[in-house]
Amino acid sequence: MLTLAAAAALVSGGLCGTLGYYIQRFKITTLSFSVAHAALAGAATALVAGTDPTYTALATAVVFALTIGLLSPKIPHERELLSLGFFSLFNALAVLMIYLSNVYVLSSASISVVLWGSLLAVTKPKLVVLTGTLVLFTAYLALYRKQIDAILFDKKLAEAEGINVNLHTLTLLLFSGTAIALALKLTGGFLVFTLLYNPVATSTKISKNARKQQILSTTIGALTALTGLAISYLLDLPVGASIALTSTTLLLTAHTAKTITEKTQLTKLKTTPSQQTTK
Amino acid sequence: MDRRSRPKRHEESRENSRRNPTTRTIRREAIRLEDVWVAYAGSGKPAIREINLFFPLGKLVLITGPNGAGKTTLLETCLGLLKPYRGKAFLLGVDTKSRKILEARRKCSYVPQDFMKPPYESYTARQAIELGLVLENTPDKNTRVEWAAKLLGIEDLLDRPLGTLSGGQQQRVYLARALARKPLVMLLDEPFSSLDRETRKTVAEILRNYVDRENTTVIIVSHDTAPIIELADTTIWMNEGKVVKVEAK
Ligand SMILES: Nc1ncnc2c1ncn2[C@@H]1O[C@H](COP(=O)(O)OP(=O)(O)OP(=O)(O)O)[C@@H](O)[C@H]1O
Ligand SMILES: [Mg+2]
Repeated sequence: MLTLAAAAALVSGGLCGTLGYYIQRFKITTLSFSVAHAALAGAATALVAGTDPTYTALATAVVFALTIGLLSPKIPHERELLSLGFFSLFNALAVLMIYLSNVYVLSSASISVVLWGSLLAVTKPKLVVLTGTLVLFTAYLALYRKQIDAILFDKKLAEAEGINVNLHTLTLLLFSGTAIALALKLTGGFLVFTLLYNPVATSTKISKNARKQQILSTTIGALTALTGLAISYLLDLPVGASIALTSTTLLLTAHTAKTITEKTQLTKLKTTPSQQTTK
Repeated sequence: MDRRSRPKRHEESRENSRRNPTTRTIRREAIRLEDVWVAYAGSGKPAIREINLFFPLGKLVLITGPNGAGKTTLLETCLGLLKPYRGKAFLLGVDTKSRKILEARRKCSYVPQDFMKPPYESYTARQAIELGLVLENTPDKNTRVEWAAKLLGIEDLLDRPLGTLSGGQQQRVYLARALARKPLVMLLDEPFSSLDRETRKTVAEILRNYVDRENTTVIIVSHDTAPIIELADTTIWMNEGKVVKVEAK
């Protein structure tokens, strides 16, 4: 049971960490944010509909990713605000569904899926689907490495040179929706997106080199998910919150360390030339 | 094999034009704008309007005008990055609103106005140029990169990270990328902005030669007409979103 959960944490942490890196570099953070909450609304709806939360979340996230992915190139200027509008809508839907599902009679196991995640929620088939997604995403990255690289280097130039930037953006959103829906049971729907953004945010604090950022983002994603899981198990705390707190702590630490390093370097620079002039 | 060796291309184009009328248009015209109006979302007024222009292949065109005249908007409209809300824009005979526009863009090069990368940009100059060739099937990518780098005098900079290069050096990397693609149409937005006077002249001559040799159309946007106006076949003056004067040699 515990190995299953640990494997799921590693895979979903690593997968979401990697996705987060590309999401940030493609500048589609807000879009993916709304996709993440579409998954949450889907999972909450499953409580009322009596369907499987993971697969309902998956369906909602994929349908919404397709919709916003196809729509956003047509309305480039409004897409950020539109995404945030959807974010509110999905949160409202999630809360409404939780209310309608009658929280009092629900077992804590099913409500935990939406709210705080569960160690027990991981099953073998779901781990297989999760790993399959990781394999597919890695294959996609390998297959289109050059084109993706061109987009990362300069999105507008890549578009001007005939690379199908919209299609790659859509693909990325679809993978994000899938990964989020699958990780949702582990972390709970309200915290699942910390798996996406915290690792990449931390990586940018540690290195400015793009390659290193990607590797760091994947590694940090996998390790914070695993550490969070361990903390949750040892201290008997909700998994989602433990993972989110672990990765946020790391992010804040990295940020503080970076600020201090930069300050020290600046002080050094300030003192060096004055020494030279006195000489 | 050079896919653009002259006689072969002409033969091929005659062959194609008999079979396929779209290919024929692609071969003859570079850019056609028919009563084009473009506006930015939420701005309330058109950034460019009433634009009617036609550029065949094999011309060097200079577009000039003051800040805010609509030069960049015009270039991006030619590429289909911006779509007209009125009128039609064609790149190599392809309506920029059509799905086929991606294919047309693959035969074009672009140098954006805001090209500068931050100091920590780790892609090397060579990688930056190679990334312009990702959709090409030629086995001689390396030769192309080296050829373009030599033309622009940046052979020695190829393995330096882009972030460590000066503005002018970075601009030459972008120009090398544009040339390495061996395009049918080149759209260059202020390609001289960071170059010193000597290099401006050299680059202007390189572009002129390239147009003559390869039958490519090069469209240069530059508020400063100095190095290119004598070499250009057509000069277009823009102001407040409109074409105010066209002068063809
Ligand atoms: N992203 C944008 N959103 C709204 N308006 C814009 C945008 N970009 C340009 N404009 C407006 O469109 C008009 C044309 O701008 P454009 O950038 O095409 O001018 P330009 O001739 O390239 O100027 P410059 O010489 O400064 O590069 C200007 O009035 C400008 O304010
Ligand atoms: Mg401009």
